[in-house]
Amino acid sequence: MKHDITEKNNVTIVSLVGDVDLESSPEARKILMECVNLNRPVLVNLSGIGYIDSSGVASLIEALQTARKRDGEFALVKVSDGALRVLQLARLDKIFTIYDTVEDGLAGVS
Amino acid sequence: MVKQAAKKIPTGGDVENFSDHLELLALMGRDFAASMDIEETLNKGLARITRHLNAVGGALFLLDETGEKLCCTSCSGDTEITGLTLGGDEGIVGYCVQNNIAEIVRDVTKDPNFQQAVDKQTGFVTKSILCAPMSVHDQCIGAIELVNKVGGDGLFSEADLQLLQALSSSAALAIINARMAEALVEQERVKRELELAAEIQRSLLPDKRSESFPVHGVNLPARMVSGDFYDFFPLDDGRICFNLADVSGKGMNAALLMAKTASLFRCLGKTIHEPGLLLAKINAEICETATRGMFVTMVGGVYDPKTGHVRLANAGHEPPLFHDANGAFTALPAEAPPLGISPLLVEDGGFPETELDLKGGTLYVFTDGLTEGYVEDGSELQVDGLKKLIEENAALSAPKRLDAIIARINRDDQALRDDLTALIIEDSAQPEMLALHPGVEIIPSDGAGGEKQLKLKLKFPSQPNRLKLVRSLVSATAELCGCGQEASQDIVLAIDEACQNVIRHAYKDEPNGEIILEIRHNEDEMIILLRDFAKTVDTAVIRPRELDDVRPGGLGTHFIREVMDEVAFMPPPEDGGNLLKMVKRISHET
Repeated sequence: MKHDITEKNNVTIVSLVGDVDLESSPEARKILMECVNLNRPVLVNLSGIGYIDSSGVASLIEALQTARKRDGEFALVKVSDGALRVLQLARLDKIFTIYDTVEDGLAGVS
Repeated sequence: MVKQAAKKIPTGGDVENFSDHLELLALMGRDFAASMDIEETLNKGLARITRHLNAVGGALFLLDETGEKLCCTSCSGDTEITGLTLGGDEGIVGYCVQNNIAEIVRDVTKDPNFQQAVDKQTGFVTKSILCAPMSVHDQCIGAIELVNKVGGDGLFSEADLQLLQALSSSAALAIINARMAEALVEQERVKRELELAAEIQRSLLPDKRSESFPVHGVNLPARMVSGDFYDFFPLDDGRICFNLADVSGKGMNAALLMAKTASLFRCLGKTIHEPGLLLAKINAEICETATRGMFVTMVGGVYDPKTGHVRLANAGHEPPLFHDANGAFTALPAEAPPLGISPLLVEDGGFPETELDLKGGTLYVFTDGLTEGYVEDGSELQVDGLKKLIEENAALSAPKRLDAIIARINRDDQALRDDLTALIIEDSAQPEMLALHPGVEIIPSDGAGGEKQLKLKLKFPSQPNRLKLVRSLVSATAELCGCGQEASQDIVLAIDEACQNVIRHAYKDEPNGEIILEIRHNEDEMIILLRDFAKTVDTAVIRPRELDDVRPGGLGTHFIREVMDEVAFMPPPEDGGNLLKMVKRISHET
């Protein structure tokens, strides 16, 4: 798994690329928590996700819950088909706020 | 409101007299325009003309296809000479047709062109003849001849001739129209047959596979049917048999030989797995029945996705291009003549074979329709251009890269120069991944008895970093068993989650545990067995979490139950550990 963190309009945009599985989810969790801890709105770009498993989804849930406790914004953008299917299986597609584009996401969380 | 009765146009052959000539012309024009049966309409028209001009008899002559003979196709009145054939310049009819002029012979006994032979045969006594060519512009297709006027002196007048000329022209137009319509119908029929042939040809090509399948192909005919083809199909042992071929020539004869060769390959390829022998066998069959001068160039081979190994034979075809993982290109030239030339040219051992290991590289097989196709500036793509295109599109998936390459030649602004066919085999570098992940062992099936259904058997240690490789092997196996993309993804997810549970809960993250995965396939289900050797887990405590409870963890078991049709913990094996059985029912992508 690779990742990339940028900042735009005071929003942290973190892109996760590749497979988020049992091997890489601890790293994904660490990255997501670091972003949430910046205390700025966070957008997670999942367009480059090839595979995500329950441990990867768990990292996303933990980050979401941490952000919400602090009334922070946390949303997903450009969720790949494979990742969306897994979120749907977990019935989490309604729990997460999901935007089709980064622009929509920026407007939504700012 | 005043009702004005429209002037009634007489219909049917029972009306004998018209108020004027124009009325007859209008009626005949309408009959011809509406006619579905030109012969019947001509018969009716000739009868009307004969009656209207008060002739004793009438005959209609048409020139045959060669233009050298005149044949009587229709008669009315007292003369019955249907079927009579004259030379193209014989008699008064021949004279009128040759010179494209109308003639009135008031008294036949004084005309040197009159053929008395016919009268002698039929016993009819011809006194006076009226004859007008049936012509439109300069095209004369025959003539109408009337004989003997009823009553009076039995002789025709100049006014009669003028009217017959007008009626003949209208008949000529009708015949020409009918002949054109017939030609159009024939053209349309041939086109429909070609469309059907093209459809059958397309059905000979293999179905499109999902992106992760290692082999993809494309075939675009330059005309409606193609002389090129490609095919690939999985063998029982997981290897993939492939071929691509080009039949000499284009059009229907090439298309038929293509259909024959494609069928031979598919049929024989299922039992003969040595490409050299397979091509030799197809060669022998084609030679036995081939049409003189036609031949087939072909690359046929077998690719093993598990090892990346390719064995192929090239019979006179364009050299396939191998693009290795380091970016270097190698051409694989033909070492044997095309198929269908001679069965004697080939040695007993079959066609010579080439073997190579793709090692994460890609093999391109194509017809000259690709390398000799025109790019935007009007020049041919050539092999160098193809290499450049391959490099430019390296980041795309194999099928998308193939589409991008084809799009350079198959453009809207230009018709294809030749049939265009290409096949791509992309090796997913599993052997390299295996080297990077020591400890994952593919256990070969011995193929005995019940083992036939066994498609994959893996042994690997209980470490998270082995799962990526396991997923890719499972995905390839599912694809080869005919699972669709979604079913493959589901099977991958379930196996991955089940392995995680074993690693985290059974082995409690202890890295030296052993996991054995087996995938079996029968007609409509994939059966997965996952075995570990940890302490037997009390299956009663394993349950999917409540979904309303949004928290990390516990999702894996839910995923497994959601995507699989059956999930069962089997009784603990005698030597300890746990055995999980999962079943996924699949609908085949035929």
